[in-house]
Amino acid sequence: MDATTVLAEINGNIATVGYGLAAIGPAIGVGIVVGKTIEGVARQPELAGRLQVLMWIGIAFTEALAFIGIATYFIFV
Amino acid sequence: MTDARPEPADRTPTSNPVLRRALAWGAALAAVVLVVSAVLGLVFAGTEGLVSALIGTLMAVVFMGITAASILLANRYASSDVFVGVFFAIVLGGWLLKFIVFIVLVVVLRDAPWLNPVVLFLSLVAGVIASLVVDVLVVAKSRMPYASDVELPKAPTDD
Repeated sequence: MDATTVLAEINGNIATVGYGLAAIGPAIGVGIVVGKTIEGVARQPELAGRLQVLMWIGIAFTEALAFIGIATYFIFV
Repeated sequence: MTDARPEPADRTPTSNPVLRRALAWGAALAAVVLVVSAVLGLVFAGTEGLVSALIGTLMAVVFMGITAASILLANRYASSDVFVGVFFAIVLGGWLLKFIVFIVLVVVLRDAPWLNPVVLFLSLVAGVIASLVVDVLVVAKSRMPYASDVELPKAPTDD
């Protein structure tokens, strides 16, 4: 067996990589949403209520992708 | 000149009513999605489909609702000095915990013999989308003042 074959060998289900991606993507998204909210509240504390609602809707959309991505475990063999 | 600073009034952020409304409407629409997916599951996959549809929709709605619930919980500490820290600890900690529980549930439920994974997945996606629709509608219809949490100083009284 030559070196390329040995290096390229993967065991297990490739869908596992997808669950990792389904976690990374929303993690970055929620990180940006929350970080920007902190920034906004620090600049204008009187807007905290509005920003919380915007943050919540941002998190909702981002985490929806995570839920669907991880739930594909049910259908991928 | 008397003390012009406002009294330490109720500092609850104005986002609370919007989040409460979203939770209430989310629960209402969840009931509709629950019935529809349960009927479809029963028709296409029998009793297994019915149970799977119920579990899938409930998982979607509960996990999507935890974000709003965690913000509402965190807002109870609004008058605390460390509110920002407590707020993000509760909201992000809740988020992390929720995903750990979700992944564990998915792993546990996948090979359950009394479930139909496809029906479960489809009803979960339906529940997630329904929850998003409710969230967007509630936010679009919400009325929030621009200076939502500002506290105006009280007018001086003429003694």
